[in-house]
Amino acid sequence: MGKQPVRLYSKGVVQGYKRGIRNQHPAQTRLSIQGVCTRDDVQWYLGKRVAYIYKASALKKGTRGKETKIRVIWGKVIAPHGNSGHVRAKFAKNLPPTAIGGPVRVMLYPSHT
Amino acid sequence: MGFARFVEVGRVVLVEYGTGFGKTAVIVDVLDQNKCMIDGPTTGVARQLIAYKRIALTDFTIEIPRGASSAQLEEAIKANDVLAKFAATSWGKKLDKQRKRAELNDFDRFKLMVAKKEKSRLIAKEYKKLKKAAKV
Amino acid sequence: MARAPRYYSADDVPTKKKSFKPKPAKIRASITPGTVLILLAGRFRGKRVVCLKVLPSGTLVITGPYAVNGVPLRRVNPRYVIASSTKVDISSVSVDKFDDAYFKKAAKKSAKSEKDFFQKDAEEKPKAELPAQFKQDQKEVDNALTAALKKDALLKCYMKARFSLTKGQAPHEMKF
Repeated sequence: MGKQPVRLYSKGVVQGYKRGIRNQHPAQTRLSIQGVCTRDDVQWYLGKRVAYIYKASALKKGTRGKETKIRVIWGKVIAPHGNSGHVRAKFAKNLPPTAIGGPVRVMLYPSHT
Repeated sequence: MGFARFVEVGRVVLVEYGTGFGKTAVIVDVLDQNKCMIDGPTTGVARQLIAYKRIALTDFTIEIPRGASSAQLEEAIKANDVLAKFAATSWGKKLDKQRKRAELNDFDRFKLMVAKKEKSRLIAKEYKKLKKAAKV
Repeated sequence: MARAPRYYSADDVPTKKKSFKPKPAKIRASITPGTVLILLAGRFRGKRVVCLKVLPSGTLVITGPYAVNGVPLRRVNPRYVIASSTKVDISSVSVDKFDDAYFKKAAKKSAKSEKDFFQKDAEEKPKAELPAQFKQDQKEVDNALTAALKKDALLKCYMKARFSLTKGQAPHEMKF
């Protein structure tokens, strides 16, 4: 993902989709965020932007007009999920099933501190 | 070696749950195998029934009668100065350090980082000196 | 239920339409002029800067200062900023002239001639020079601010350094 001078995001992991015992609801994704262990902790993260960054095989135009294989799906944290600090997120396009178990970046903005 | 810390009347404990989180209190009565009555008149822990899994036992005890009132307990704690004794143990110091670290703001963290760098620089300097001396 | 009024006017009474005037935007209490901010996105992400003024549009006027960490006078959206509890004394900085109009770019020439179009491909256009007035303002602000930063020995180094999350840090537990 290239060199970055600073890390300005929390690390998260895609746990799966919102689901019942038999049905999945891929419009909402469950995420766990590093260091977030209770429902109260989640409060700080609500509304924060989330980026799922992945590599594709084909080149596509990225930022600043450069061709790149790196792509991103943006989303945001919408709600806490359960009492153990998991959150639900909605993405601009539903995350593909291959994203499950993959890393996401939970950005620090929009900020309210 | 057997156990040294027991659940008993007068045992100083650390509350690890709820509003009294991280504060010290004293057992004033033992209810059953799961719960006891604790009180912390000097630390702001309300007199309450609490489960053992939500407290941690310390090394210290004080002499109080079973079911001592808050006033009695306060007197005993002050006479014994037991909370200060706990704060002086390595456990108490660790808690204090954690609390202080959590209180730091962004600028304080930066100052800490600078101080740490300075410390390791001095240590490295001294180490080099000693190494040189040892070789000769 | 509220009772109906006893009196109705027989004629239509024209009601005056209130013209809508946008209220100056409210800003969270943690941001005040002089607060040290951490920028979260964009070119200057991670930089620590000083908030100079809150504009009625809801944006903040900030600067690094430029002489210290290279962040010029610019406007930022408070949503892309973390307010720290550190304050800098900015009473010596005059900020009256900075408003939304000050930062507006001069309108771009829209009608491009054909020659311009081809020229662009052929050779890089010279970089637009900053207006002299802006440079002058930046200098004045920088001088006043660096003097204020000197009061604390480490403050200048702090402003120079970038903010970053490190291992084991969770932003919701941190104080800023």
